[in-house]
Amino acid sequence: MRPLYLLREAVTNLRVNRGNVMIGIVTTAFTLVCFGMFLLLYLNIKNLTGTLQSDMEVVVYLDSEASEQVVSLVQKRLRSEPAAVALTFVSKEQALRDFSEQFPEESLLLEGMEGNPLPSSVVVSLSPQFLDAESLSAFAERVKQFPGVIHVAYSQDWIDTLALVISYFELGAVLIGMILAVATVTIIANTIRLSLHTRKEEIEILRLIGATGVFIAIPYVIEGTILGAVGGGLSLALLKGIFEFFRLELNASGWFGGMEHILPVFPRQVSFLLVMTGMLLGCGSSLLSIFGLMKVRN
Amino acid sequence: MSGHVSSCRAIVPMIQLFHVSKFYDRCTALDDVSFRIDKGECVILTGPSGAGKTTLLKVIFGAEIPDAGQILVQNRNIARLRGGAIPYLRRTMGIVLQNFQLLSKKTVYDNVVLPLIIQGVKRREARTRVLDTLKAVSMDHKRTVRTGVLSAGEQQRICIARAIVNSPILLLADEPTGNLDAELAVEIVELFKKIHAQGTTILLATHNQRVVEQMNGRVVHLQAGRVVSEEGAMS
Repeated sequence: MRPLYLLREAVTNLRVNRGNVMIGIVTTAFTLVCFGMFLLLYLNIKNLTGTLQSDMEVVVYLDSEASEQVVSLVQKRLRSEPAAVALTFVSKEQALRDFSEQFPEESLLLEGMEGNPLPSSVVVSLSPQFLDAESLSAFAERVKQFPGVIHVAYSQDWIDTLALVISYFELGAVLIGMILAVATVTIIANTIRLSLHTRKEEIEILRLIGATGVFIAIPYVIEGTILGAVGGGLSLALLKGIFEFFRLELNASGWFGGMEHILPVFPRQVSFLLVMTGMLLGCGSSLLSIFGLMKVRN
Repeated sequence: MSGHVSSCRAIVPMIQLFHVSKFYDRCTALDDVSFRIDKGECVILTGPSGAGKTTLLKVIFGAEIPDAGQILVQNRNIARLRGGAIPYLRRTMGIVLQNFQLLSKKTVYDNVVLPLIIQGVKRREARTRVLDTLKAVSMDHKRTVRTGVLSAGEQQRICIARAIVNSPILLLADEPTGNLDAELAVEIVELFKKIHAQGTTILLATHNQRVVEQMNGRVVHLQAGRVVSEEGAMS
């Protein structure tokens, strides 16, 4: 068998059957764009929730009457907790300054009060493996028992909702991903099958003169793979364009108050995955179609 | 000793059919057909349209499986051959059909070289063989022309060239002059006679009486799927 001959045949076929090839490329590109958009949406939400989760902190409020000894004991005990990765002590004075900076309009409320009503606190950053609702709850319950601790604050509802949203989204991702994958394979396989039907006579001639199934199939499979790769590349370009447009719009809108940087994620793996998926789809669809056509003995 | 061997040349069977029957939706295409073709013989399969000539050729080159009976081609039972073995059987045969079956977007050279590429013949050797074959069918001057623009007679010559380029021991032809005028038909028959003279076994199906007379081989007459008569000398 001559590999160069088979490759040349594939390239010639692509050139000669330009119309069908273009339809195949555009179909592949658009179906992969749908798939890629969903994939990007999923990855971005996962990334966003991951970032928000990693920023999650627990604030341990201390009794204003607690002595320095008690405060340092609380910090010591917090440090020995496996969930705690970093501690930041916020004194009463610091808390007041932070409040005034964050809520300048409400700072008047404090002016009428005697002394500083805000308690000192310890802000605890948690290790990622302890960020689930159950671990957080257990941690808070333990810390509440420490002498000198009056309150432990963390967004329990937020954590629970986030966990629920992620699990629903993952389930949805698997289901929609599967539906899109099946739809993509079906569309591409049918496009290639249609293109092969127009070349049925060519296949019959090759069989008549003693070509084996493999000899006939190889150029079609190469052709399908090239078609899929080009379709994948085109979908990548389209997706990147849509993505950049979306990112610019998002930055201009200011909806995310300076947090836009954590939203737009276009991982390299997605680019690689799209082109590889295109190639695999093209190759697989060609194989399905060609062997379907060659089942008939003639 | 060698003289004795050549003078008593053994009769080697090329094709043997034993009680072959083939049906299409209760229509009988072949009905209990039995006959034999020896190596080097030229057999003309004749009969009216629908007599079963094409079906008989198809079961010989493995495009159809007989519903009953056995077919031995070069001592291989075609009826029992698995699909994967059919291409290798066809490489030992040349097949010429009425509707040419050429790749119209490819050149004359590319069409004729195909069987050699399929068999993995080296490029240089393939080129020599293609050019020799094209010369034999008087088409070497058109080797760079696409077959789609050739006349019917020229296309049939190219089809014959493709069938004989790998020096097959058996040439099957189904109505090879069916699409040609009388003058071109004579030329094509002369070509077949030339190929037969070189020792190739030929089985040619035709309903054209002039072709039958011109070929001067053994005539097997089919009617309604049955062999009704055999005329002419056995080899």
